[in-house]
Amino acid sequence: MPRTAQQRVTVPAGASREGNFAPLSKDSGLAAEIKAMIVSGDRDAARERFADLVALQQRRASRIAYHCLRDVHDADEAVQDAFVKVFTHLTSYREDLPFEVWFTRILVNGCLDLRKARARRLRWVLPASPSTEVATREPVEPQPNPEDRLLATECGRQIAAAVAQLPERQRAVFTLCQIGGQSAAEVSQALGLSEPTVRVHLFRAIRKLRGLLERERTR
Amino acid sequence: MTQHPHLSDDRLIEVSLDRSPSVTEREHLGACSVCAARRADLSQLLVATTSVAIAEADAVFTPERLARQKTRILLRLEQEGRPGKVVTFPAGHVHQPRPLRARPGMRWVAGAAAAGVFIGILAGHYAPVFRSGARQSSFAPVSPEAVTVQTVSATMSEEEFLGRLEMAIDGTSGTTLQPLHDLTPLAWEVSAP
Repeated sequence: MPRTAQQRVTVPAGASREGNFAPLSKDSGLAAEIKAMIVSGDRDAARERFADLVALQQRRASRIAYHCLRDVHDADEAVQDAFVKVFTHLTSYREDLPFEVWFTRILVNGCLDLRKARARRLRWVLPASPSTEVATREPVEPQPNPEDRLLATECGRQIAAAVAQLPERQRAVFTLCQIGGQSAAEVSQALGLSEPTVRVHLFRAIRKLRGLLERERTR
Repeated sequence: MTQHPHLSDDRLIEVSLDRSPSVTEREHLGACSVCAARRADLSQLLVATTSVAIAEADAVFTPERLARQKTRILLRLEQEGRPGKVVTFPAGHVHQPRPLRARPGMRWVAGAAAAGVFIGILAGHYAPVFRSGARQSSFAPVSPEAVTVQTVSATMSEEEFLGRLEMAIDGTSGTTLQPLHDLTPLAWEVSAP
């Protein structure tokens, strides 16, 4: 039976844990340190140290969650839940694995759960105007930041619209590879897909993006 | 021109992502302008889409929002594992039953009030009986001789009629109006509904 985008992510049985991953990064070392604190019973100190880990991963996590869910409030909630879950289960973290991969898997699972909950919720709600699909924006600042300036250009708008049009699975793979900066092997671990499947989704996503943008240019 | 075939789209994407073309591919990319242009376009597309996607997320997740998010995460971790706060019922609202105190003086007052009420009810019950007896006596048939009927001519003025009416009331002949007076209830007998 083909896997659906709504299914929870599990690590493939044959997935390699060795190799393919970058050497342990700063966040992995920090996670191992916090784990040791929790094991030794110093939970308060572990919590204080965890703030540094949050600071290291927070922006990347928010970007991934936002592109998975396309809703700022849901993305915010998913990121918070993921960090709380990580701290609660940090004793089961394996230091030989990159923390980023473990954390991304927890985050992606949380995003899938939220998406399922949202689908259930929307089943009982009448469809609203298409503007509900557009992400809620923070109040506009008087001085636009570089991100806003980039998005304000015609090209930026077209690209953003094209990315939003990608099917869920392709968008998830594209987000993790391009925005999350993960390799195909890491994305395969995070999404519970085989590496060739990840590549196929990535190729399709890029081809689709190219097609959509070319169509916009020829208009 | 090189003998190698052009790189497929998928391979070109792979090369653009991993930046690890094989020796043969590298040679081909160096010699084939078509594939080099395709690769450049693809790289440009990837860079543009990635930067726009990142900018889109960053525009929504401002530094202020990220700071709030971090605060909430740490707050949730701080509250984690703590037992729920039990809210006690406000003590000021508790009704304290007051003990009954024996007061002999009050008992006498209550007894007298009850007796007064009882007597009042009895009096109210029997009063109409006495009054009806008194009224029956006043309804004694009046002899036709006693009634002096004064015919009023149609030509009598209104003032003259009222003057005669007053004289009848004030004078000795006022007894003729007694039955009408008896039928009319007195103001102090009429009780409010």
